[in-house]
Amino acid sequence: MRLAATLQDVQAAASRCLRDARCTYGSWPENRVLCPLYAHDPSFTFSGGGYLFLILALLDNKIDFNQSTAEFAFSCTGCLACDSNCHLFSAHAPYAGILDAVRLLRAEAVRKGFIPEGVRKVYDRVKKTGDYGHASALALPEKIRDDAAATVIFAECAHTPSQKEVSAAAVRLLEKIGRPVSVFSERGCCGSTLYDLGLWEELEPLVRANWARMEPMREKMFVFMSPHCQEFVVRRYPEILPDAAPVNGRHISQLLAGAFKEGRLKSRNAGKIKVSYHDPCYLGRGLGIYDAPRDVLAGLEGVELVEMARNREDSFCCGARTPGGYIPGLAEDTARERLREFEATGADLLVTACAYCRDSFRKVMPVKDRARVKDLTELVDERT
Amino acid sequence: MVIKVVGVEREAACREIREAIGAEKVRDDEITLVTYGRIRHGFDTMWPFRKPCMVVFPESREDVVETLKIANRYVIPVTSVGTSAIMLGTTEGGIILDQRRRDKVLEINTDSGYAVIEPGVSFDKLTAALRGTGYKCAVGTMPGPGTVLGQALSRGSQSFSTRYLNVVVDLEVALPDGTVYSTGSSHFAGVGSHLRYGPYPDLAGLYLCAYGAMGVVTKAAVRIHPANEASRVNLAGFDSYADAVDFIKELVNHNIPEHTFIWNWHMYLTWPLAPEDMASVMPEVLRSDFRKPPEGTPYNIVSTLFSGYPDQVELYEKICERVAKKYHGRVLPEEEVEKRFPATAAGFKQQYGDFHYRESVHWSKGRFVGWYVFGEPKDMKEVEKFAAGEFAKFGKEINPVNYYSHPFDYGRSILLRIAGFPEPTDIELRRKIAKKFDEMYDVALKRYRAVPIRPIGSDRAGTYMKVLARIKKALDPNNILNRDAGLFEEGEL
Repeated sequence: MRLAATLQDVQAAASRCLRDARCTYGSWPENRVLCPLYAHDPSFTFSGGGYLFLILALLDNKIDFNQSTAEFAFSCTGCLACDSNCHLFSAHAPYAGILDAVRLLRAEAVRKGFIPEGVRKVYDRVKKTGDYGHASALALPEKIRDDAAATVIFAECAHTPSQKEVSAAAVRLLEKIGRPVSVFSERGCCGSTLYDLGLWEELEPLVRANWARMEPMREKMFVFMSPHCQEFVVRRYPEILPDAAPVNGRHISQLLAGAFKEGRLKSRNAGKIKVSYHDPCYLGRGLGIYDAPRDVLAGLEGVELVEMARNREDSFCCGARTPGGYIPGLAEDTARERLREFEATGADLLVTACAYCRDSFRKVMPVKDRARVKDLTELVDERT
Repeated sequence: MVIKVVGVEREAACREIREAIGAEKVRDDEITLVTYGRIRHGFDTMWPFRKPCMVVFPESREDVVETLKIANRYVIPVTSVGTSAIMLGTTEGGIILDQRRRDKVLEINTDSGYAVIEPGVSFDKLTAALRGTGYKCAVGTMPGPGTVLGQALSRGSQSFSTRYLNVVVDLEVALPDGTVYSTGSSHFAGVGSHLRYGPYPDLAGLYLCAYGAMGVVTKAAVRIHPANEASRVNLAGFDSYADAVDFIKELVNHNIPEHTFIWNWHMYLTWPLAPEDMASVMPEVLRSDFRKPPEGTPYNIVSTLFSGYPDQVELYEKICERVAKKYHGRVLPEEEVEKRFPATAAGFKQQYGDFHYRESVHWSKGRFVGWYVFGEPKDMKEVEKFAAGEFAKFGKEINPVNYYSHPFDYGRSILLRIAGFPEPTDIELRRKIAKKFDEMYDVALKRYRAVPIRPIGSDRAGTYMKVLARIKKALDPNNILNRDAGLFEEGEL
């Protein structure tokens, strides 16, 4: 979505909504509910279509923009289930997704000064520093570090407590693989958080500054640990900056799957364990990467994968990145619902491939159980 | 009857409803109310925006009954809806009864051939529940998420109509005073829903095409049909609608189709489009004159579903070939359809193979404006020419001009549904089209004896509407049910 877009730009596309809740549930014949809002409170309002109708009502002056509208706009978990299942909105100009329309609504809220408390902290900081997050210093061991290497690790800033541990495990794995790599450290945030939160005025300078540093490296292979950063850099940079070309991006799970295949990573038998894999929304629905993490798990001796009822394209969100307060407890309830589904599998360990998911699940688990949630990199590091 | 409910009374009613059924089933926040202010799809600005005072999400029959009783006492209008409502208007300050949470398939009876469902059950849900039972449902002309009963009660055209007739066998209905009754055989204690009516009159008929104005359906038995050993969809191409009508009429007279449908070329090309096909197929269609298909592209394709024993199906295929030739058409081999019209082939495969209606991108060309009439077969040949001529006058800006046509009740009546897709935000053009449609309905009625699918004004239905209004007054004396559904103009009896 262009940063200059307005609500009027999506009016015609939004008018195509059939009000049929198709955006809320997954593949036939299971028809499992995937939209966290709809799962929480099944109504038209709490669906992708509800957001579209709210936009239409705002444009038609049936409701005023206010703090409550803003809280609602920021209550979508952004899981992309709507865009995976409804093809009506995206088939016509401006060829955007329903989630893009939600982000547009958020940008409008920010422009009008209606900023939820959970977003205010980010907004104030970006206003003050021009960035969000800290430039990461991902220390690669000397034996693999090579600034001329064809593979570049995209070092994400740490918005999440888990990122540090995920990054550390990834570095250890890169050392085990033994191929030369270099590091790209953002100035701070790649911009995905600002984009999602509707801080669009502040976004373009940030993206432009990052791209200026990435552009000389764009022929190289960028490896991402965060699906959010990967989706944003690969897909959105070219949308936001007309002169930016898509970078060649891979997720760390793809790198690991390749390393197993080439024999550069070898599994050691660390005992039998049943694991269930949670498809992160942006890695799965966002980037279409479903097989690589499963291939990695299949490469680990003694690891048995037990799928949750909702998996792959029909995965259910972890509830992270829900800063709005319109539905109290939505983020936590969503994480708990997913954990119940995990428990139903009888698996010992819940594996994910996104630091946000790891945090979200751990946050609602009893302290004694938190070690039952791991990032894929951590599990592979432990068992190779 | 003019309803006047003051704010204090409305607040009291809302409070009582909350207490009666549970606050978690009631929403009255501003965002919910405005997103239910126009329940027709597409926030159609042609329809009046009327903000309800609350939206109720019943989870049981008792929730429905309690809500109705309180609303009736305070004389607050109630609009009962499922998902993907087509023709329902809302009422300012009324209550929306959104039945989507009542979505259980309660019983599948493969001995008699019916399924008992709650009002919120969608086609997707029912078709999924029927998998492996040896039965299939009469998939309607709605996307999968649309509710089965929503279509039945608001007279969707019901695509499997040839042999299957109406989908409803038995309805459980709640009236505003709290009375709950069944229209069919289940009214007798311990009896199932195998019989729609008898020994008494067919009361289920009172609710079909009534848009919820005669009572709130709380449960229904709908027809399901055996998925036979062999099943086949035959596609035959014709260069004129008249030939296509003669073809289906002859097949129907010989008891061959379970279902048969005539599609015009704009529709069979664009209706089943997947998003990835939009760029390749749609642009050419948008530039074309729907009355003049490109060389070699049939003006109409007739899809005919038949099933039975394998040798029976084989014989039917041969008969189709012979009858198609008789009426100047030809059966299109499967390979040819897959090669020339791959999206069409995929769409038919999904609809007839899985009995699951694909959510088609065709809808997203815009909110369609549709004109629908029923007529006798020979009249319909003229109606098609008339309607096509009138649609052509709107120009290519409403392309694709999609129509389908199919026989009801073994061909006694034939439906033609023709629709265009003006830009959803072009209100002026949409108004112009709506006005034109009214004139066209008049012409169709007077010149071609064709009746509209939707209410077009009580002045044209005469005594029928007067009798209906008397029945309505008996069932709903305070006129609270689906007042603005369009059955009685602007809710006035």
